[in-house]
Amino acid sequence: MIANPNILSEDKVKENILLRPVSIEIKDVTVSFPTPKGEYIAVKDINLEIRKGEIISLIGHSGCGKSTLMSTISGMVKPSKGEVIVNGKKVTGAGPDRGIVFQNYSLLPWLTVYQNIYEAVDSCIKNISADEKHSIVERHLEMVNLTPHKDKLPKQLSGGMKQRVAIARAFAINPSVLLLDEPFGALDALTKGSMHVELLKLWNLDNRNKTIIMVTHDIEEAIFLSDRIVVLNNGPAATVKEIEIVGLPRPRNKKDIVNLPEYKTIRERLLNLLVEKFSIEDEGVKFEE
Amino acid sequence: MDKSNQQLGATALKVVTYRTGRFLYFLLGMSFMLIIWHISSLSTDGELPGPIQTFSVFYDLVSHPFFDYGPNDKGIGNQLLSSLERVTKGFIIGSIIAIPLGLIMGSSTLGMNLLNPMVQVLRPVSPLAWFPIGLVAFQSAHTSTVFVIIITSLWPTLINTAFGVSTIPQDHKNVAKAFGFSTFKYITKVMLPYTLPHIITGLRLSVGIAWMVIVAAEMLSGGVGIGFFVWDSWNALSLEKVFSAILIIGLVGFVLDKSFKSLQTRYSYDS
Repeated sequence: MIANPNILSEDKVKENILLRPVSIEIKDVTVSFPTPKGEYIAVKDINLEIRKGEIISLIGHSGCGKSTLMSTISGMVKPSKGEVIVNGKKVTGAGPDRGIVFQNYSLLPWLTVYQNIYEAVDSCIKNISADEKHSIVERHLEMVNLTPHKDKLPKQLSGGMKQRVAIARAFAINPSVLLLDEPFGALDALTKGSMHVELLKLWNLDNRNKTIIMVTHDIEEAIFLSDRIVVLNNGPAATVKEIEIVGLPRPRNKKDIVNLPEYKTIRERLLNLLVEKFSIEDEGVKFEE
Repeated sequence: MDKSNQQLGATALKVVTYRTGRFLYFLLGMSFMLIIWHISSLSTDGELPGPIQTFSVFYDLVSHPFFDYGPNDKGIGNQLLSSLERVTKGFIIGSIIAIPLGLIMGSSTLGMNLLNPMVQVLRPVSPLAWFPIGLVAFQSAHTSTVFVIIITSLWPTLINTAFGVSTIPQDHKNVAKAFGFSTFKYITKVMLPYTLPHIITGLRLSVGIAWMVIVAAEMLSGGVGIGFFVWDSWNALSLEKVFSAILIIGLVGFVLDKSFKSLQTRYSYDS
């Protein structure tokens, strides 16, 4: 296969990234929880600098502390050591500059689709009239194609639709940072694929200005969406194992990129980083990759 | 077209058969009860009135429910209404106290630690024990009865409300935190909607117990009311009236419970 001229070298990507202003700084962050058996260290000495408009995936085995690390950015978890700085300000709690999409959608079951988004907009965006708030909600419902379902309760929606509501809710408060905690983990492969495209569509509509950090354990998903992939070691006391740079040109087409040799290389490297553990446990079973 | 009509007919038939079936079981159970009642009446040589005597007295009572011939001679409707009035007053006041206290208890550890020991000690006390306190405090048997019902209505509502609030899932709390809900928004959009089914369960239990306690409370207080009517009929040695009152008390309690149950269904949700 002929080398694709659109594919950027690692150095070029790094250069491009460094042109953008800093969005998030994670400095020496350690998170530990007290347990009856003593202190449990979830993540240890993490340093990471994320630039504005980047899409970053945090990937690692379950229980490795990737969600915990993300919670320090959202302000839901306080680091025991170190600090997180978002847009130049130290994180001390949750704030409307960071929109969160939770793993299990977390819609309020007694509110309709419309109300779920409206209540978030109403609390996060001050100084605008009720009419403007309603038009923001309408616009975001339209973006995720849920206008016909706006008066339904969450229990009447499929998993994919619920997650679209959650994503619309996170985008509607117009945060500069979006935090997605295994957002598509519970969806089937087909729905997942279309949700990836929708997420990128929303990101593009906003001129790729939003910084997106996503926790995932799906390698294909991480490569398709991200600019950089942060691989964490296994917990406890997880650290950054490796940061993979994804130089695939945007807009990316799912069908096309899988055939690129660069895609295959990154996938191979990620698999090696993540899967070595399994091959030992699966001794005697032929592991083909 | 013909086929779908046939199917529709079949479904309708199934529903009708199901309902008729249930009604037949009801009739069967009732007849058993009436037969046992009749046999017990016969075996006491009519000292215990049988169903036939009772129903003729019952019919007399309910065919002229409202009349007032002085303090000791009032219609069954008057008695029932005055009992319902006391239960309503006591239940409403009790709930107004219990719901906010329950919300405080459920949402703060301080509130729980302050109130819970008191609640645990007072809850097992029969509400009738408060009757003399009420008499001294209010100098009126009527108000004192309402006071007993207030105490009765407190505990189930309080405990269920507190339980509801303390079990709000972390997910819902995270949403409120992540999107910066104000305290007012948290209470109205998260806490109350989540707790409402629990509150209604508490209210349903409260009203049920209040309706049981009112009969005993009115036996103590005298005057007018369905409980007093039972006691008065016993003194007048009219067991037919006692049986009729039991039937009426049961029916009213059933209706109260059903209406709260329908509220429960109305405000329950699945996530």
